[in-house]
Amino acid sequence: MKNHPMLKYLKAEGPMGPRLPTILCPGCGGGQVLNYTLHAVDRLISKDNIRKEDFLFISGIGCSSRITSHYLNFDSAWTIHGRALAVATGALLANPAFRVIVFTGDGDLAAIGGNHFIHACRRNINVTILCMNNGLYGMTGGQLAPTTEKGVVTTTTPYGNPEESFDLCKLAETAGAPYVARWTTAHPRQVVRSVMKGVRKRGTAFIEVLSQCPVHKKMSPVAMLKMFKDNTILIGKERESKEGKIPIGEFLDIDRPEWNDSYQKIVSQAREGDYRTHE
Amino acid sequence: MKKEKGAKGMNKVSRDSCLLKPGRHYLQGNEAIIEGALVAGCRVYAGYPITPATEAMEAASRRFPEVGGRFIQMEDEIGSACVLIGASWGGVKALTVTSSPGFSLMQEAISIAIISETPMVIIDIQRPGPGQGYITASQEDVMQARWGHHGQGPIIALAPSSVQEMFEVTIEAFNLSERWRTPVLVMAEETVAHMRESVVIPPLEEIEIINRKKPQELAIPPDNYLPWGHDIVAPMANWGEGYNVNFVGLVHLEDGNVTRYSPQMNYHCVERLHKKIEIDANSISCLDTKFLEDCNHLMICYGVVSRTAMEAVAEAHEERGLKIGYIRLRRLWPFPEEQLRNIVCEVDTIFVPEMNLGMMKHPITEALRDRCKKIVSIPSIGILHSPDYILSKVYEELR
Amino acid sequence: MVTIGKILGEAFSLYEGKNSVNTQSYGPESRGGACKSEVVVSAGEIHYPNVRKADVLVALSQVALDRYLPDLKEGGILLLDPGSVKDVLDLDKYQVHEVPSMEIAYEIGGVRYQNSVALGALYGLIPHLVKESSLLKAISDNVPRNTVEINKEAFKRGMRYEKGERGKGNE
Repeated sequence: MKNHPMLKYLKAEGPMGPRLPTILCPGCGGGQVLNYTLHAVDRLISKDNIRKEDFLFISGIGCSSRITSHYLNFDSAWTIHGRALAVATGALLANPAFRVIVFTGDGDLAAIGGNHFIHACRRNINVTILCMNNGLYGMTGGQLAPTTEKGVVTTTTPYGNPEESFDLCKLAETAGAPYVARWTTAHPRQVVRSVMKGVRKRGTAFIEVLSQCPVHKKMSPVAMLKMFKDNTILIGKERESKEGKIPIGEFLDIDRPEWNDSYQKIVSQAREGDYRTHE
Repeated sequence: MKKEKGAKGMNKVSRDSCLLKPGRHYLQGNEAIIEGALVAGCRVYAGYPITPATEAMEAASRRFPEVGGRFIQMEDEIGSACVLIGASWGGVKALTVTSSPGFSLMQEAISIAIISETPMVIIDIQRPGPGQGYITASQEDVMQARWGHHGQGPIIALAPSSVQEMFEVTIEAFNLSERWRTPVLVMAEETVAHMRESVVIPPLEEIEIINRKKPQELAIPPDNYLPWGHDIVAPMANWGEGYNVNFVGLVHLEDGNVTRYSPQMNYHCVERLHKKIEIDANSISCLDTKFLEDCNHLMICYGVVSRTAMEAVAEAHEERGLKIGYIRLRRLWPFPEEQLRNIVCEVDTIFVPEMNLGMMKHPITEALRDRCKKIVSIPSIGILHSPDYILSKVYEELR
Repeated sequence: MVTIGKILGEAFSLYEGKNSVNTQSYGPESRGGACKSEVVVSAGEIHYPNVRKADVLVALSQVALDRYLPDLKEGGILLLDPGSVKDVLDLDKYQVHEVPSMEIAYEIGGVRYQNSVALGALYGLIPHLVKESSLLKAISDNVPRNTVEINKEAFKRGMRYEKGERGKGNE
């Protein structure tokens, strides 16, 4: 750990005691996503000359959200369950120059945070969302999530899940996100590239990363990573599941007016209006 | 086509600042809130439509962009309250105005704002409940203000009684929130929110505006910065200033470390929050009084009811020679127990008129039980008490 | 009706330099035509913001009159529209003034001018409280720009009608 190139972006020590190791379980995919994201951020800082001060990491509640908590040597926020995107909206209202990266999980984003998720995409606020999808609620012990597949046994579906699950990428695209991609923790370079694209994109970039929870899935991390490689298929725009495999790739990459850019026009219009003639 | 804006000609606006010019204005309570917020330096508004607060949001949607601020109508009140947190940590003062059901939704956000010591202002235009209740006036959220958020954080809550005060108290709320790094609640009623009244705006130089202390001003560099340390009210570094500050909601040490939980750390973290507000409680006067000398009875009131109470008490003096003292609580929380005990001598009956079935009556009883023979609630539900109504209850009781 | 209160309050407050509070009521009262707007004006501080006993009542519908007449003091001024208000009990208890504001409004261009007609009529009864110019200015502030002149005309007609009635001895 001492020589890890991304360590400079983590708060290893504080005046009140050590922060590392993280609380993540051994083999958790969250650590990998953090690593890939920091690599992307590192490249953006050097290649695009984005100021480190402008990066802002925001998360909700859950294992995935924990990678923000207080580990990062960046401005960050570990907020309330499902509300990271609402807090991000506020931060961007205060300062449209922030490069906001939201770490979230499938439950945090699509269950309790569902409303803020679709509205953030609709408004096209300038955030890059990294949704670590492990198909369950990890922190609280492995309960059903909106992304749990039908029939799967979890601690709250002991007889098997009777419900259908979300396709988060389709949801993001329908709601209006201009950049939508799905990868897994077994696709490091692709995640890094997507994060870079996401930060560069003016608007909501949604990156779903299938992530392993070895503890609740009761599989070894290696087996899960292999599963991710074997059971996914890289596709372009077709996006229908082929050969029974999960489609991964960049599904959408377009441009749409970003919220603050649109609102700035309103500010200009308001300030020039004829209100001032009534003095 | 240039759009017609706001109240045509009525609200005279300064060309440079786009704020209302000093002088006399005629405003609705909801509008006065927005003008006060803008004077206080608030530049982010987030809200959700709800009667009877909607006019404030609509005024914000017009006025905030005019002064270069930003307005957003969020998808719900929870989102609105969270926008306030993000904006405040982004370095900008932020406001939302809601009503009772929306206020309930915001409690989780208030809770995390307290522990993260986030300056922000939430104004509740109270209406009757429970449930949808109705859209008239009430004072039924005054306990929710104190105890509605989960956990045991301290609360500052103010109670305006006129449109002039909607303007002034909003500025005061921002000043308190910045000075003490805490969310501040303003508990208003539908009556004042919808009433139109004269408002005198003083020259801006005469209005005190307080901003949060910054570590940069105190020459604390990022490497030595403790987000919740250095002083009883920690200087606040905001995002984007290079301080790498982590916002957290778990109980924490001064540097934000949450990994070393212990009951002692938990206690210390929460106790500090209370101590911080207690200094405010004792340092800021918040009682209006009249007719206290030689009074036999007392009327303790707050919010718009205090206007009726004043008229009732004055009339009782004039017409029946009844010596009823008048005390108005301008601040509901922290409850001014010490200040009350300092000014109240022995009296016979304490009357507490409220637009609820008796809420502030409880801390009043706790504070003054030994200074009187009885404490009598005078409730009025859904409508402001009239002076005749209060007097009829008073005369009945004192017969 | 809600706008009359706002205009009056503004005229008193901004242009006469007095204190004034204007409240209105919702709820069941506002359905069925009995929406109420109250204006309190004072040279000094105003405590209780609503009307206890009214000095003046402007009633533009029967429902409104029936509900709010008890709030008018004895000898108070009652301004009503005889087109909409048919039954008035105890006429001799009050100073009753009848101005067909709805009819005059239609003559000018529509019911949306009724408020200005009523204000013009009201002005003649309270000239000691407010100047004509203050009311006209307040009206201009509160109506769409392209209807300012029509509303001023409506005001003048209401004023002239009421003055004419008074001249006939209908005190």
